[in-house]
Amino acid sequence: MAYKRPRPPSPTGSQKRSRPSQCYVKCGTPMSLDVDGDDQAFVPVWKQIVTDEHGRRRLHGAFTGGFSAGYFNTVGSKEGWTPKAFVSSRSRRNKDQSSLATQRPEDFMDDEDFADAAESRQLETDQNFAGIGATGESEGARDDFFGLMTTEDETMGVKLMQKMGWRRGEGIGPRVRRSARLDDDKEGTVSMTSESEQLFAPKDTHIKFFTPRKLKCSGLGYQSDAYPLLKPSDSEVKPRVSPALLSIEGVSKHPKPMKPAVKRTGMGVGVLNDNGSDDEDPYELGPRISFNRTIGKDKKAKNPSTIKPSKFAKVSTGQRHMFVPQKHISRTSSSVARLCHDGRSPLRAFKLLTITDGFESRHKLPPPKVPGAWRSSKQVPGSGARAQSFQSVADAARSSTLDAKGRATVLGEKALPGKSIFDYISKEDRDLLAAKTGKNLPPGLGQPLPKQNKTRGVTQPNDLWTWVPALDKGIAAAALSKGTTGWMPYGEDSKKRARYTSFLEVRAGLKDGLPERVPGTTNADWAQELREFAQAAQVFKPVQGLMASRFTSSTSSTPSAHPGSGSGPSENTLLRAPTTKPDDPAETAAKLGMYGAMTRTAVPFHPTRILCKRFNVKPPPNILYESEFGTSASSKTQEPVSKAAMDQMFHEAMTAGSVMQYPLFMTPQAKGSALFSSAEHAPVDSETNEALLKERAPDDVFRALFGDDDDN
Amino acid sequence: MPRFPTRPIARLGGHNGIVHVVAYSSGSSDFILTGSSDRTIRLFNISRAPVDSKVPNAGLVKKFSAHGHEVLSIAVSQGNDKFISTGGDKTVFFWDVATAQTLRTWRGHGGRVNACAFGGEDESVVVTGSWDGTVKIWDVKSNNPKPIITLNDAKDSISDVCVFDADIISGSVDGRVRHYDLRMGMCNIDAIGHPVTSLAVTKKGTETLVSSLDSTVRLMDRDNGQLLKAYRDESFVNTDLKIKSTLGLNDSVVVSGSDNGMVYAWDLLEGEVLHKFNHSERQEVKGKKPSAPTSGKKDVVSAVAFCKTRQEWASGGGDGDVIVWGAE
Repeated sequence: MAYKRPRPPSPTGSQKRSRPSQCYVKCGTPMSLDVDGDDQAFVPVWKQIVTDEHGRRRLHGAFTGGFSAGYFNTVGSKEGWTPKAFVSSRSRRNKDQSSLATQRPEDFMDDEDFADAAESRQLETDQNFAGIGATGESEGARDDFFGLMTTEDETMGVKLMQKMGWRRGEGIGPRVRRSARLDDDKEGTVSMTSESEQLFAPKDTHIKFFTPRKLKCSGLGYQSDAYPLLKPSDSEVKPRVSPALLSIEGVSKHPKPMKPAVKRTGMGVGVLNDNGSDDEDPYELGPRISFNRTIGKDKKAKNPSTIKPSKFAKVSTGQRHMFVPQKHISRTSSSVARLCHDGRSPLRAFKLLTITDGFESRHKLPPPKVPGAWRSSKQVPGSGARAQSFQSVADAARSSTLDAKGRATVLGEKALPGKSIFDYISKEDRDLLAAKTGKNLPPGLGQPLPKQNKTRGVTQPNDLWTWVPALDKGIAAAALSKGTTGWMPYGEDSKKRARYTSFLEVRAGLKDGLPERVPGTTNADWAQELREFAQAAQVFKPVQGLMASRFTSSTSSTPSAHPGSGSGPSENTLLRAPTTKPDDPAETAAKLGMYGAMTRTAVPFHPTRILCKRFNVKPPPNILYESEFGTSASSKTQEPVSKAAMDQMFHEAMTAGSVMQYPLFMTPQAKGSALFSSAEHAPVDSETNEALLKERAPDDVFRALFGDDDDN
Repeated sequence: MPRFPTRPIARLGGHNGIVHVVAYSSGSSDFILTGSSDRTIRLFNISRAPVDSKVPNAGLVKKFSAHGHEVLSIAVSQGNDKFISTGGDKTVFFWDVATAQTLRTWRGHGGRVNACAFGGEDESVVVTGSWDGTVKIWDVKSNNPKPIITLNDAKDSISDVCVFDADIISGSVDGRVRHYDLRMGMCNIDAIGHPVTSLAVTKKGTETLVSSLDSTVRLMDRDNGQLLKAYRDESFVNTDLKIKSTLGLNDSVVVSGSDNGMVYAWDLLEGEVLHKFNHSERQEVKGKKPSAPTSGKKDVVSAVAFCKTRQEWASGGGDGDVIVWGAE
């Protein structure tokens, strides 16, 4: 929303200095209400600034030539004004109050209000909240004058404790009889006058919370110094703490053990921020009084030999869980008996645990031992050896000695229907090739099948002959001759067709031995196929005359016979070259120059009436067909379309296709005289019907056409 | 038999492309209409265009330009006042000669229209044959924009059409000549065996002259389709282009252009080559061999026309010139 401060459209009277006479009385000084110095005084238009909802200036020099394109000066928002429905009727009057009630306070809030509202929703704890006793924060703020500022309200825990007799600054626990400590600052000079022993409250010590330590597990490639070092800053920058808190001071300030400083500079970490302990949690709360503000000062401090066992170090060594060389430990432990957190020495026969950092402290459990006799249930029995000597597919393929055919036989694939070159090569050529190459080549043309087929076929010839169904020799020969000249079954399966031929040859007496069979089939299957062949030979034996011309040999898609190969017996060259489209006899005659009756073809032609009229010829007789229906067909344009279309169709049916265009000599007889009788001006005798009176065709013609093939 | 005209008497130039068709005017045949691949039809006065004229466009009477494609055929009406022209724009134009305006246009062919002819009594129909394999017959008398009949028997492009009496003859690239006999209502289809490029009918109407792409011109008997005579020459080449052949001198000679720029004249009865002419050189070629067996598109003689009244004929070719050959 663009902001345009509401300003008076004209200078107010007080600002109109040109006319001071209007204002006679002036009480006080006019005060600007706005804090930002923007009183709602009149500002000339050219001085006014339009800002958007973010206070950014818009319309930079809009009135001097430039402008900010967009919606910034129009309606103030991308969506424009939102229309609101206003409904008010006599019965249901839309009161002003109700319409006002629809407005929300957000409608009147600007960005700052929204920001305030959003801020007020943020949940945070009260600054004065404290748990039982003192919080860590207040502990840290106890030193110096920060403690003065500390305001600690009495929490419920404190109140309870106070009711139980506890006072601030005292420790918790039974009272201890000891002499008074007159000087708290000097811990070492404790006067041990036994006569003035009184009961005192125990020392105020922190309860130690054994929080789970953060294990510093680093990832791969983490370069760490082999030896963790003592933090030298601890001994140098030592805060002044009360002696009562001394034993746990280190813990509270350094909850985690120090790692040796690895000089790294990360993004956003300046020199001053770098306190030499990069591994420290950067989000750690607490006073960072251990900032190393001196560059290069830690050099000599890094040397562990320079560390002197001070009195502070003595106390804090064990509590700060740091790795200290053994000599240090021995020295410190021998010199100073370490105390528990409540200031007492540990019980007899007990020893304070010295926790050293590092991975060596975490003893690792070895993986469980697998019993020797154990066997996985997942393992495939017998595959153990294979799994041991794993071979990739490429290696296996390389080491394999099988060729494509060998693999096919291993896999049990059927041979492809395509023919090999040896199907067209004569035996001599094949032998020559085999001798030249020295390979085991498949048999050539007309050669017996390989041994395994032969042996299987020859083993029991006498038994197998019983499987071969009987077929009349004549029928077999006829079917065979039909196959060589014309149509033959099993055109889609050349191998089966070859077996069929072989069966026919056997039955026709052209060949000795058993018919071919598919290698690997059972005798029953073979016999079944042979029976099928016998039936097919019965069915597909050649028919005479017209019937034979209606069938043509199916053409095979496999490549035709190799032209260069030796010409084999006719029974093996069943695959013929695809027959070319039969030439039009008229065209062939014309090519031969036999013009005349051979080349002339007559087809009926149906001129339209209007054409004949234009040529002034008497319409031919076959146009009567048209004029019968349309007696008033004087004009071509008025003729019904259906008749013209019918005429066209009839004409097309007569003339379409070169196959239908019979030479002239066979036209009238072959096509039937009834249809084209008009062309010959044949006198129509209504009394007789030649088609009915014609002699019946011989019976064998009908039998050949429609008779059952099985009955003869 | 009158002497065959062998001397060029006129040269009709000005075409910017191959001359596809040459047509004598009817009547006295004093004018020649030429159609060219430059999309114009020009009307020439033969007598005003001598061979050695230096004047450009000598003898040009009128220019007819309406075609958007090449002009492939022209047929002049008997009255000499109208003519039709067809071409590559699938359209048949019916012209008025005097005003050089198109009176009618017929559209309906699916391809370029290769041939046209007047037909019917008083030339009341126009027969056109097209590349789309159809012969369409248009009615001049009525305002019917559609053809009277469409003969779509041909399996290939129609290359030429002729009308004799009540017979419509069409030659097609599918190697057949179809005789549509309106009186009998029969269509006699003669197979030639090679793509037919030109048709002509004798005056008696009993024979047709058929050019085909086996470099042969044949005279066919129309009654029974028998071959009466075949006209060939060892140098006569017609294997690729649509070459016009015609009959002349009272049907005593056969004249045909050729693919190699020569014009051949055969004796109709004997079948002997009478004359050979080199079109572009405008001279007769004596001897067995043509003077320069030139090759190239420019040297084709695609159109020949014989004057019906005088001993005169014209040849048009790839060089854009039309040469009129006369006896004198």
